Amino acid sequence: MDGPRALASPSLCGQGTVAAGMAVAVGRVLQLGSRWGAAAPGVQTLRLICTTTARQRKNVGASGPEKYTEAFIKNQIEEFNLGKRHLANMMGEDPETFTQEDIDKAIAYLFPSGLFDKKARPMMKHPTEIFPEQRKIQWGEDGRPFHFLFYTGKQSYYSLMHETYEKLLNAQKYQDQLIAQDLPPQKKKRNLAGSRWLTKIELEEMLLEKLSDNDYSRFILLLEKLMTLPCGDTEEKYVQKFSKEVPVQLQKVVIEPLKYDERGVAFSTGEGGRKTARATAVVYDNGTGKITVNGIDILHYFPVLQDREQLLFPFQFLDRVGKHDMVCTVSGGGRSAQAGAIRLASAKALRSFVTEKEVEFMRQAGLLTPDPRVKERKKPGQEGARRKFTWKKR
Amino acid sequence: MLRSLKGLLCRPLKLDRGFALHTAAKDRVSSLLTQDVQTAPERPRAVFYTNENDPANHAEQHEGRLYSIPLDELKTVFPHGLPYRFQQQIKTFNEACVMVRKPALELFTYLRNTNFAHPAVRYVIYGERGTGKTMTLCHLVHYCARQGWLVLHVPDAHLWVKNCRELLQSSYNKERLDQPLQASSWLKNFKTSNERFLKEIKTQKQYMWGRRDRTEAGRPLAEVVEQGLARVRNASDAVGVVLKELKQQSRLGPFRLLVAVDGVNALWGRTTLKKEDKSPVAPEELTLVHNLRKMLMNDWSGGAAVTTLSQTGALFKPSSAYLPQELLGKEGFDALDPFVPIPVPNYSPREFESCYQYYLQRKWLQHEKAHTEAGKEELRFLSGSNPRQLDRLAGPL
Repeated sequence: MDGPRALASPSLCGQGTVAAGMAVAVGRVLQLGSRWGAAAPGVQTLRLICTTTARQRKNVGASGPEKYTEAFIKNQIEEFNLGKRHLANMMGEDPETFTQEDIDKAIAYLFPSGLFDKKARPMMKHPTEIFPEQRKIQWGEDGRPFHFLFYTGKQSYYSLMHETYEKLLNAQKYQDQLIAQDLPPQKKKRNLAGSRWLTKIELEEMLLEKLSDNDYSRFILLLEKLMTLPCGDTEEKYVQKFSKEVPVQLQKVVIEPLKYDERGVAFSTGEGGRKTARATAVVYDNGTGKITVNGIDILHYFPVLQDREQLLFPFQFLDRVGKHDMVCTVSGGGRSAQAGAIRLASAKALRSFVTEKEVEFMRQAGLLTPDPRVKERKKPGQEGARRKFTWKKR
Repeated sequence: MLRSLKGLLCRPLKLDRGFALHTAAKDRVSSLLTQDVQTAPERPRAVFYTNENDPANHAEQHEGRLYSIPLDELKTVFPHGLPYRFQQQIKTFNEACVMVRKPALELFTYLRNTNFAHPAVRYVIYGERGTGKTMTLCHLVHYCARQGWLVLHVPDAHLWVKNCRELLQSSYNKERLDQPLQASSWLKNFKTSNERFLKEIKTQKQYMWGRRDRTEAGRPLAEVVEQGLARVRNASDAVGVVLKELKQQSRLGPFRLLVAVDGVNALWGRTTLKKEDKSPVAPEELTLVHNLRKMLMNDWSGGAAVTTLSQTGALFKPSSAYLPQELLGKEGFDALDPFVPIPVPNYSPREFESCYQYYLQRKWLQHEKAHTEAGKEELRFLSGSNPRQLDRLAGPL
């Protein structure tokens, strides 16, 4: 564990260079997290309770033999900081102002990797991000547990429930007071749309303890009940700990307005792709229906009728067959893919010329949707993507 | 919303159309007797037709319109030379309608204003594939035939440089090779188109065919042609003789000579023929080609030579080539230089309109959407106003 203090120190852990890998069944020693107990972080006795599989980023397993002692983590942090300074030195940057983003860029530069899974690539992050939080030992030298609810088995969960219920009672008392004073009960409007409760896994991570579905739902119900009452500021802050912002999902596609070129003719551009072909189309107004692809007339570029029909479709759909000129560039793909790409690009460009209702019609006709079909991967043991080798009886 | 016009079955068309046209054809036949007046009392002629059947009188106001060639005249003037698809169309519609277009009108003015004392001017009609070069040539041939010229029409010079089964060594010149079949078929067609001239023109030299036969000087050319047809071995030489005589006599003689060659780039390209020892044959080694080349030189007067470039049958040339320089090659360009180039473009909007109306009126477009404006626009877009594409598109509809 205490490797040499060089840059290749275990601070640069990635695929689990540290002790036996993260995915291996490793147990954890119960360690009392600092938020749950006031006990001194006396870590001396390491008593094995039970072992479970511990996987990074999944819920915290129950106790097991300790993988990462506090001293170890502290060691790692020191090594990380030192390594960070060394790295900054190597890259010629100022060690004081070397942020995590700079570290990531430097590592990607020094250790280029073509692996598809980003998590499998070399990374250098702060040990707290890499090593999952663990529970510290929850009993003292004499064997007496620190928390009063230790023998329930789910001490953090029950203490959380107790706290929340306490807040609920406070709120109810407050409301009673208001009623007693004949003041109208204030209902604070909470923005429900933009937030969600913590998921079960997130809650487990927060509590460092496994929960059952039942427990989780009971907790959420309690929070909801608390939310219905008028709360003071402390309660607000408390509830906000368990809610998360949900980014607004609806993104309206912006249709670009028409541009005018030097002749005064309105035009608009669109881009499209299909399989490996990429196309850009510029559609001009007041035209005669002339279409040029890569500088070549479409009759010469697409001798096959089917491709020309594909190009015709957006214009025909909007009844604007002879009214626009188009200049496109296309590359990649084959004949059919290029035709499909130009079709999509021209449909996107035509959106600017057309009312919203017609845009909606186009979308429903499938003119604006990029075709997701690509060539399927060939699998080993088969001749192609689906075709198997010739079956021989013997 | 509208979808594409294609993809729908077309009903069996032939029977209906044949029947519908039968009555129309009867009217036409009766009216053919008076060729000046074309009356069709049931069907009023639409705007795109023109009654003017004599190409000599075609002028700009007839541009974009179709005129019809009477069918029996067709047999004499065009025993060969019309494009295959056009021949099928004639059989289907029972009439031969040719569109009057600007390149043809241009050629007419040039021909009218030629000075026949000067050496013959060579015209090269060129254009992209399927734009109507051969049809322009045929229009011209019809015009000259009506005017009383002697027309030397070579329908497709490419036929002479490829797909030839028999190659004989020429008896006249040991280097060269004869093509009896092609020569004899051409002679036959030449005879049908120019019967009366052949009787009038006399040979000026004596010609020996082999060791025994000969043609005296002063005999009508028809005898030479008969000789060529009878003795197939001598057919190519007969062709050579005919060409030479015509060239010499056109200057003085009472007739004008029109040399119309389609696919002239075949004469200077490569051939796909091989000799017995598998060595490739150069075009000069073929008698027919050699003689035709001599014909196309501008050392004779009293007529004109109109040629067409053709990529469709061209050997060893890329399909995007259509300019004279590309298709003729250096050799051909130098040989034909100086010439008057005549480009033939795709249909103009007006011409497209009239072609479309013609098909509609002939009930060739049966699809119900083909009758609408939108259908017309679609046809225009998909064919790119190219005559051949339009013809092929309109077929299944």
